[in-house]
Amino acid sequence: MFLVEAPLVARREVARGMFVLSLDAPQIAQSVRAGQFVNLGWSPGPLLRRPFSVYRTEGDRIEVILKAVGGGTEQLLAMTARDTISCLGPLGHGFELSPGPRSVALVSGGLGVAPMPLAAREARAAGMGVTWVHGARSVDELCSEADGDQQIWATDDGSRGFAGTAVAAVPDADLVLACGPNRMLAAVAMRWPDAQVAVETYMGCGTGVCLGCAVPLARGGYDRACKEGPVYRAADVEWSMLPVHLPYAISS
Amino acid sequence: MTIDMSVEIGGLKLRGPVLAASGTFGYGTEVPLLERRALGAMVSKGIFLRPRAGTPPPRIVETPSGMLNAIGLQGPGVEGLIRDYAPQWAQWDFPVLVNINGETAAEYGELAARLDGVAGVAGFEINISCPNVEQGGLYFGNDPRAAAAVTDAVRKRTDLPVWVKLTPMVTDVGVIARACEAAGADALSAINTFVGMSIDLTTRQPRLSFRTGGLSGPAIRPLAVHLAHQAARAVSIPVIGIGGIMRADDALEFLVAGCAAVQVGTATFVSPNAIAQVHDGIAAYLASHGFESLSDLPRYLPRD
Ligand SMILES: Cc1cc2nc3c(=O)[nH]c(=O)nc-3n(C[C@H](O)[C@H](O)[C@H](O)COP(=O)(O)OP(=O)(O)OC[C@H]3O[C@@H](n4cnc5c(N)ncnc54)[C@H](O)[C@@H]3O)c2cc1C
Ligand SMILES: Cc1cc2nc3c(=O)[nH]c(=O)nc-3n(C[C@H](O)[C@H](O)[C@H](O)COP(=O)(O)O)c2cc1C
Ligand code: FES
Repeated sequence: MFLVEAPLVARREVARGMFVLSLDAPQIAQSVRAGQFVNLGWSPGPLLRRPFSVYRTEGDRIEVILKAVGGGTEQLLAMTARDTISCLGPLGHGFELSPGPRSVALVSGGLGVAPMPLAAREARAAGMGVTWVHGARSVDELCSEADGDQQIWATDDGSRGFAGTAVAAVPDADLVLACGPNRMLAAVAMRWPDAQVAVETYMGCGTGVCLGCAVPLARGGYDRACKEGPVYRAADVEWSMLPVHLPYAISS
Repeated sequence: MTIDMSVEIGGLKLRGPVLAASGTFGYGTEVPLLERRALGAMVSKGIFLRPRAGTPPPRIVETPSGMLNAIGLQGPGVEGLIRDYAPQWAQWDFPVLVNINGETAAEYGELAARLDGVAGVAGFEINISCPNVEQGGLYFGNDPRAAAAVTDAVRKRTDLPVWVKLTPMVTDVGVIARACEAAGADALSAINTFVGMSIDLTTRQPRLSFRTGGLSGPAIRPLAVHLAHQAARAVSIPVIGIGGIMRADDALEFLVAGCAAVQVGTATFVSPNAIAQVHDGIAAYLASHGFESLSDLPRYLPRD
């Protein structure tokens, strides 16, 4: 875990209102694994840090992908080059992508695309064929950047690719990784209990000390999205107890 | 010049006046970025006799300059704590106090008795912001008799230092403070979180699943300074100031207002090294104002 004062070096738009920010954070860029996140703070800004999956890395840079859903994300998107952002990370346990499975489907809804480029990279390094499945409400909300040997697009309104949910569009694969609205992940859990899913919760600290990021478990009790998570075996989560109204969750 | 930052609080000699507040530092096994040399002591996450699952999410919501939390005192229970954490604490170069909780005064007493003598446990901080099931759920901390009964129940079962953590949700904190002092407390921690509520206008429901939560962070600081000051004026045992400390100047306000030490909570979430920054900032203030030790800092404590 590192705490880095990271200059903002670039920004690009990848869907309507959806942006990728590049930050110069060498120690994090070199150590982050797919599915891990950074907790971002800045001043003047909100009191608590805001968690974001690491989208991609390039040399000394990390990238995060976001939309304005509230005060904090609005401020992040209003920043200009060379403003600095305090990055705490990498945090949490990411995807398990050791060699074995021959194929993997990376399934994302909306901003759930966030951990997938790093997952694609690690899956390929482990010798897997990668199918990229990405869905959103309509074509202009699809993230235009994609990876994988095969790409499948899904939109609720049928404006691009498969008309329906990303989950319904997933082909056969040895392994399924998913990120997106909690509702979507609950559907993934029904179909592929062994899928690895990245969940989101509110976070106080991101470092395991506050117990604010409770994820309800199917076997009872809770553990910490920021420490044991944010990636879980889909069937291990008690989906009926996770709030479905989080905004990162409704943007698919 | 090196400043003598040591303090003695209710039977414990601490190398510095900045402590980690209960519930904001886990069991001390996380937060690898903190320079621990600056940590005066740690108060562990609140514990009950038996394991507790805690409340369903959402447990946290940010509010202006603060946050509400309703964790529900999730924890492994006393046996889990003794097995998994106390052995590690025994190796550390700063004391660990256990924040103890119960539903009846007798339960607090049993908890203290079970932990008394366990290597790694240096003392107790009694959290009296718990509902008393024998008194219709009235908080122990709201009633001087109940607060004294809990203090007494713990005092009788241990010779280790006993601190009582006061709740701000009272009409006169001095009355509760004096009741705890009379029942044998060695020090007082002031204060715990304020009870608050926040409503989501989309769902028209409370944002927290538990409906209400404890407010912490800079939003409560002036209230906390005042309550800690009132408590310090009411008793002759040391008072540890808590509430919204983000930097050294905030801690110095509590110290000048009559506190012997401080605890840092929410700030650790924002900056994992906050405790060291507060500690170093206090030392720098003392040095630049010509004080050789923390005990030389004048306290504003009129006894009228
Ligand atoms: C492990 C993890 C990874 C994440 N990765 C990404 C990512 O890659 N890209 C991205 O855009 N978002 C991501 N999020 C969600 C992101 O953290 C929130 O959208 C962000 O914190 C909102 O901040 P805000 O100040 O803009 O919103 P606020 O003004 O605080 O709130 C606006 C709305 O956002 C909701 N909100 C606040 N905090 C969170 C949170 N932690 N999770 C979900 N909803 C929240 C509130 O309920 C409210 O409805 C991730 C969350 C987690 C826990
Ligand atoms: C997430 C969280 C959990 C807490 N858990 C406990 C607890 O278990 N026992 C306790 O006495 N106080 C608990 N507190 C209260 C803090 O110890 C402290 O009194 C309060 O947060 C005010 O200080 P701050 O503004 O510096 O955070 C908790 C606070 C927070 C934010
Ligand atoms: S966010 Fe604090 S424990 Fe996970």
